[in-house]
Amino acid sequence: MSPAIVEARQLAMNFGATPVLRAVDLRLEAGRGAIITGGNGAGKSTLLKLLAGINSPSHGQALLFGTEARALAAGQRRRVGLMTHQSFLYPNLTARENLEFYAALYELRAPRDAAERWLTRVGLAAAAGERVRALSRGMEQRLSAARALIHEPNAILMDEPFAGLDSGGVAIVGALIKEALARKSAVLMTAHGALAIEGVELERFELSRGRLAAPKAETRTGRLRSLLGG
Amino acid sequence: MAKLLAILRKDLRLELRSGLSTIALVSLSLLILIVLVFALPASATGVEPAAGALWVAMIFSGMLGATRALSAERENGCIRALLLSPVDPATIYAAKLAAAFIFMAVAEVAAILMMVLFFNLEFGARIIRLLPVILLGALGFAALATLLAAISGRTRAGDLLLPMLAVPMFVPALIAGVKASAAALAGEPLAAMGAWLKILLAFDVLFVASGYLLFEFVAGED
Repeated sequence: MSPAIVEARQLAMNFGATPVLRAVDLRLEAGRGAIITGGNGAGKSTLLKLLAGINSPSHGQALLFGTEARALAAGQRRRVGLMTHQSFLYPNLTARENLEFYAALYELRAPRDAAERWLTRVGLAAAAGERVRALSRGMEQRLSAARALIHEPNAILMDEPFAGLDSGGVAIVGALIKEALARKSAVLMTAHGALAIEGVELERFELSRGRLAAPKAETRTGRLRSLLGG
Repeated sequence: MAKLLAILRKDLRLELRSGLSTIALVSLSLLILIVLVFALPASATGVEPAAGALWVAMIFSGMLGATRALSAERENGCIRALLLSPVDPATIYAAKLAAAFIFMAVAEVAAILMMVLFFNLEFGARIIRLLPVILLGALGFAALATLLAAISGRTRAGDLLLPMLAVPMFVPALIAGVKASAAALAGEPLAAMGAWLKILLAFDVLFVASGYLLFEFVAGED
């Protein structure tokens, strides 16, 4: 069995007396993609936060590269890309300055060049000098995707990456995910409804009331589409 | 070091763009000095009231500066991205401390100029001798306030919590700072300031080391 890049073992989380996640087991290897669907309050964002090491679980283990997510060394943290509902972008910096800053944090050579390249990739070259505060919701979401992927991480966690995007934005982010999988990254994402990305096989999980249903492999040959919205 | 400079450069760029911290710090210092110069009796315009007024201005402006340096990170959850990045939390603290110190130092230069004017002091060697005292004080207070702002920023009553925690903890350094400043302004020999400067330096080491070691545990989410 290949070593898991992303793994949850009997992962559980309680907020006070309320269980939000119950004994979730999940395993994702290099080059594999998975999507977790579920309604509001199902526990999707909580699961991603635990796997990213933002919060500590009440029980069980959240592992990245076989190490507890909250105990990753700097070298391992460099291999993780996270996209959440919060964009992690500085509103008073321009789109270019934000990417340049994150490129410097992740020790990329020529941060300015990397920022320019990724702005072009997410279709924001024309808005490079705009402050994030002035960007639309969809533009900020695309920039957030560029921020999460600029260092080409091996473990990618994305909480509703297509939320707020128009069809062009969905195609751009979908292409970035496909490219990451081709690069042998493991990609775990969430969505309200089922999603498919052209030519990409995704394991599909359903999260309901904190319980994760068994996976089903899915391949779509059509264009990226949202089957149930969200 | 490159990461520290990247964070510091970003903070300074944000500040230059908005100017909010520096303007607020200078305005607050000006307000405090004006209030004190009119509140104190006319006979009390010597060096000790001037030194006291300067340090009151420094404490309040320092709290504002430290809060501002971290509040930018709370917008859009940027502090999470920083903590999840391959940057040592101690490096993040060092960058935040450097930013808060620079904001405070700029405000203090303005406050010293206003103090000289309002308290009828003379520009000269005595003011130059005051600078190391003020810089040591600003470093210590910025170190303490940056650490405490990371704690208080996580609570709903953070703005109230910061002065309640910071001021009592800084009192010993505050006394040393006021005494050393008064000695510097009175033109007393260096030996008269020496003991107070050592106390200030000791508190600087304590606060900087505490922040460097503890920031990781107070800036996270649980």
